[in-house]
Amino acid sequence: MENFQSQTAQNRYDKARLAKDNGAIQLSNKNELDAEQLAELMLKVANLRCKVSFAKLFNHFGPKINAFGNQRLHQQGLAMDLVQETMTRVWTKAHLYSEDKAAVSTWVFTVMRNQCFDMLRKVQHNKEDSFGDDIWPLFESDDAESNEDDFKLSGTLLRHVDELPPLQRQIVQGIYMQEMTQQELADKLDIPIGTVKSRLRLGLEKLKGFMEKHYD
Amino acid sequence: MIKYHPQQELLSLHIKGELPLSMSLAISAHAEMCSICQQKLNALTESETVNVFDNDVESNISVDIDSQMSTLLAQMMQNTLDDLDAKPAEAYIEGVTEVTVKDQSYPLPRAFRHQIKAQWQGIGKVSRLRLDTGEEHARASLLHIAPQGEIPEHTHKGSELTLLLAGEFSDEYNTYKPGDFMLLDENHQHSPKTMTGCLCYTIVDAPLYFTKGFSKLLNPIGELIY
Repeated sequence: MENFQSQTAQNRYDKARLAKDNGAIQLSNKNELDAEQLAELMLKVANLRCKVSFAKLFNHFGPKINAFGNQRLHQQGLAMDLVQETMTRVWTKAHLYSEDKAAVSTWVFTVMRNQCFDMLRKVQHNKEDSFGDDIWPLFESDDAESNEDDFKLSGTLLRHVDELPPLQRQIVQGIYMQEMTQQELADKLDIPIGTVKSRLRLGLEKLKGFMEKHYD
Repeated sequence: MIKYHPQQELLSLHIKGELPLSMSLAISAHAEMCSICQQKLNALTESETVNVFDNDVESNISVDIDSQMSTLLAQMMQNTLDDLDAKPAEAYIEGVTEVTVKDQSYPLPRAFRHQIKAQWQGIGKVSRLRLDTGEEHARASLLHIAPQGEIPEHTHKGSELTLLLAGEFSDEYNTYKPGDFMLLDENHQHSPKTMTGCLCYTIVDAPLYFTKGFSKLLNPIGELIY
């Protein structure tokens, strides 16, 4: 595996150098992200609805999905449809992704393959059905569908919670780490629930800001 | 203990999404009952991801595609993503999680959730519920045989797939348990019978692509499956 990776890295290097030597306009490899970076982007999309992170995932996976679509669907237009449909699902189903179960690329492959399966059935059998996700579940945790709104704090986010102003930190920690309700927190701190809500909102916005400054 | 599993090649085609719906339903349902095959499928998904995604396609992407890609991204960033979030989540339709036949209820594997639309039909101890997979030749069904029932000896024009979902049955070759995945080719004859009743998923008269994937239509089926 290690060998394989270093080989790919070598190939990329060669291609990049070749491109430079040819003086061609190159996107170079700015979009090649490693598994850890992809996981962080995915968590930001899932938890913070971060569009900048989504755009990075799009730039990383878009050309790959397009290439796969060209092989499978044999029509240029459909390959671009596959990119759009797959990336739409990455956005809407991001909360089903679980870092413990699969790498982001494996998950995106699953989303893409399922979508492609449904599109092929439409082309070949004129069937407007979507059975892909029944056949190949998207790795969601067993209770994911009932807990869609759960906010999962990633390790990355946790590091930034400590940087929040104390009043906001208290609320964010209470809600997400001690799993208290907003009302319980309001009672415990003897403040109106509206204050809990506004501190939570400010805290989350600030966290989002930290993440963007850190990674963009 | 499950004794009969799909061949490695079938698992691989399944992961690539190259099998027809009828066959992928069978493999998905088998894997739900068989942790060994589920693990194999997980590993195959990972290796297939590497095959498909680890190519550096960017450096040979055309300017045309590149600009279509940018347009699509811009459109998603400006409108689509917000629209998607503003739309209330589509209600998830759970579909059918169990079937009842002859006063007996059976839980159904996840893959069949949205496949059960027809009614049970049949005479005597054998009942059949047809699935509409839209495939021209392969006929996929749930098959129920009541206790002490049997199916007369028969052969097949193409291959026949039987996945035992519940109960037990025996034929000339063996006795089968839930999860057993049996693929018979046209050279086999058999007459399954059951003592206590059983529910199966079957595909009959399947064309060649059934076991070989869309891309391998020209290869003859030579080998026996078991």
